[in-house]
Amino acid sequence: MSRRNSPPLRSSGINTIQLNAAREMHARTVRARRMPIPTSGITAPSILPTATTTATNTVLPAMPARHICNNPNNPPCVHCGSVIIPSPQATLPLEDNPSITINDWTISSRKKPILNSQELDLWENEKLKGLTLPEMIFGNNYIRIENPKLDWSIEFNALDALRNVQLQDSGIRVAYSSDWINSKRRQNSANAAQRYANDVSDDSLNIIHKYDWTYTTRYRGTENPPASRFRLDNDQTLPLDKLAVHDKILFYDDMILFEDELADNGISILNVKIRVMNERLLLLSRFFLRVDDVLVRVYDTRLYVEFDENKVIRESKEFEGKYQDVLAKHRLSQSHDPKAALRDSSWVAQNTPMVKRECEIIEF
Amino acid sequence: MELDECLEKLYKAQLLPEVTVRALCFKLKEMLVKESNVIHIQTPVTVVGDMHGQFHDMLEIFQIGGPVPDTNYLFLGDYVDRGLYSVETIMLLIVLKLRYPSRIHLLRGNHESRQITQSYGFYTECLNKYGGNSRVWQYLTDIFDYLVLCCIIDDEIFCVHGGLSPNVQTIDQIKIIDRFREIPHDGAMADLVWSDPEENNNPTLDHPDNSGQHFQVSPRGAGYTFGRSVVEKFLRMNDMNRIYRAHQLCNEGYQIYFDGLVTTVWSAPNYCYRCGNKASILELYSKDQFYFNVFEEAPENKLLKENSLNDNYSEDSITNSVVNRKLIADYFEDDSASTDGSTDPEMYMFSDVYQARSASNRHVDYFL
Repeated sequence: MSRRNSPPLRSSGINTIQLNAAREMHARTVRARRMPIPTSGITAPSILPTATTTATNTVLPAMPARHICNNPNNPPCVHCGSVIIPSPQATLPLEDNPSITINDWTISSRKKPILNSQELDLWENEKLKGLTLPEMIFGNNYIRIENPKLDWSIEFNALDALRNVQLQDSGIRVAYSSDWINSKRRQNSANAAQRYANDVSDDSLNIIHKYDWTYTTRYRGTENPPASRFRLDNDQTLPLDKLAVHDKILFYDDMILFEDELADNGISILNVKIRVMNERLLLLSRFFLRVDDVLVRVYDTRLYVEFDENKVIRESKEFEGKYQDVLAKHRLSQSHDPKAALRDSSWVAQNTPMVKRECEIIEF
Repeated sequence: MELDECLEKLYKAQLLPEVTVRALCFKLKEMLVKESNVIHIQTPVTVVGDMHGQFHDMLEIFQIGGPVPDTNYLFLGDYVDRGLYSVETIMLLIVLKLRYPSRIHLLRGNHESRQITQSYGFYTECLNKYGGNSRVWQYLTDIFDYLVLCCIIDDEIFCVHGGLSPNVQTIDQIKIIDRFREIPHDGAMADLVWSDPEENNNPTLDHPDNSGQHFQVSPRGAGYTFGRSVVEKFLRMNDMNRIYRAHQLCNEGYQIYFDGLVTTVWSAPNYCYRCGNKASILELYSKDQFYFNVFEEAPENKLLKENSLNDNYSEDSITNSVVNRKLIADYFEDDSASTDGSTDPEMYMFSDVYQARSASNRHVDYFL
């Protein structure tokens, strides 16, 4: 029992050879992300390619080079032949913060493993007191969009998303809940009649610890400074025509902020992804909830930034429907594996009625 | 087909033909039907938690912990769903059990159920791997009904997938459960595979009456969490020392509750190929000597990453499952081609060429 509570270490320190091997592996990963450069005359780009240096390169693309890769580990950008795609998360404690700047807008992201038990204790006992935490929290992940000149930034992270979860009963129960509770009631009254010692009294069939176990969150990002600069204007729409154009993606990331399998009664997941093009960016934060045989919910927040106009649009949509109704739509279509579609949040969003839409805007 | 022949194929992650699966399941059923709900075993034994179809990680476990039959194993359930190789994982375990019945023991987890496997991927995987028919899924889920529920090591350590039940005070009450059935939503059998321990950190916040020490109804409206006093009472009544269980993800590979009275063992590293967690197997040398052997994911998994194979979250899961099959087939073809030693798969994977290729293949999506 002596090892209890301390992580089992193979040795007390880290072996230098292992450390070097790890460094080498990281270097390889990073190197590999630098795309081979099409023209042979130019060697690998200098560690920090800036707009000015790339502009003088002979491999000028059609569009003017105006963005800056902030992280030397980023693969080269469009001027140098490739898309910026952050690496898969490093398992070693190596930081990798891909980042890009266009005009005064800087976009950065970070991906790390789920929280460890020390971090979880801190979150459970201090930061998110009263909430039983979801099973998987990618608490060190974020996507951040900032503009220091305008003194404004917005970030998407798990902590703030979970702060938005209600600390009260959501009223949602798993499909077999009433059967379950009733059978316990019957059993308890039988036990009481026999004066049989039992750990469950009738009282304890009431749910004591109240929190929204579906982790439903209407999180729309964390602004800094905190006083929101968004102005509600539901007449606004996202410029789908501009977004439908396949402009070259300069920066792309896709990450989960938290996820819970609801003890195998469905799924609750918050996912954020972003694509940055030369003139604009689109971010989609999607909360997806499926309680098997009960309901499905998709809460989408789309954030759109037009760099040249310094214009930000945030559109939030809420979709919600009964599980059986959505499943029925799929049954009409085809397939002997109908439940597969209900694992796909995009399909669910398209086949579930929208219950609410809001649009906000900032014009700097 | 001889068992050893099956093993040879399965270790290479090759699928067995449907008729063989059927015959093996029939054999295993004959064996398991004779077993009690609670089996008694002796140390030394290595306890393994949830695997969830992470076949390569299971092979890694046999590397780290020693191969069967040199090491005795107790698996705590949840062999299928979520990972991409549930069929391979459960088939290997089935054949090992048939070949070395006293060396490996398999408990039932909550995923060893018809209903759950339809929602969490095993059903879909069986369809994909066996040409769209569900018979293999039926054979395998039938076997699940025969798996035992609990195990007692050295008369002192109680092992179960989930946890305790208010309907179970004594081991004898477990022995009389009719286990040969689908896992019900309700009652002792459900609780044994479903319930979770809950450490009461905030006695003042929600539990003024100390109820956190007892069984509590989950806020989901079904299922229990069990507190320290429940555990103490159970152990005292049955003259036991501690409980090992699985069922819950923990980043470090194991989690200790109630000062060691309950321990969670988790054996699926980088769960769902994206959590970045560690996993562990618990090596018990004697009832007082044990060691958590912590490990990370097998390198083979990394091959899967950039293709985002988990159809749970893909944009188009229906076509994706077809793509899956192709990619998986490609991968194993590559693998068998490399057995002649011409290419070292590990070198290949970490080579700049491979990394560059995977970086350019990485999914970039014009989402709206």
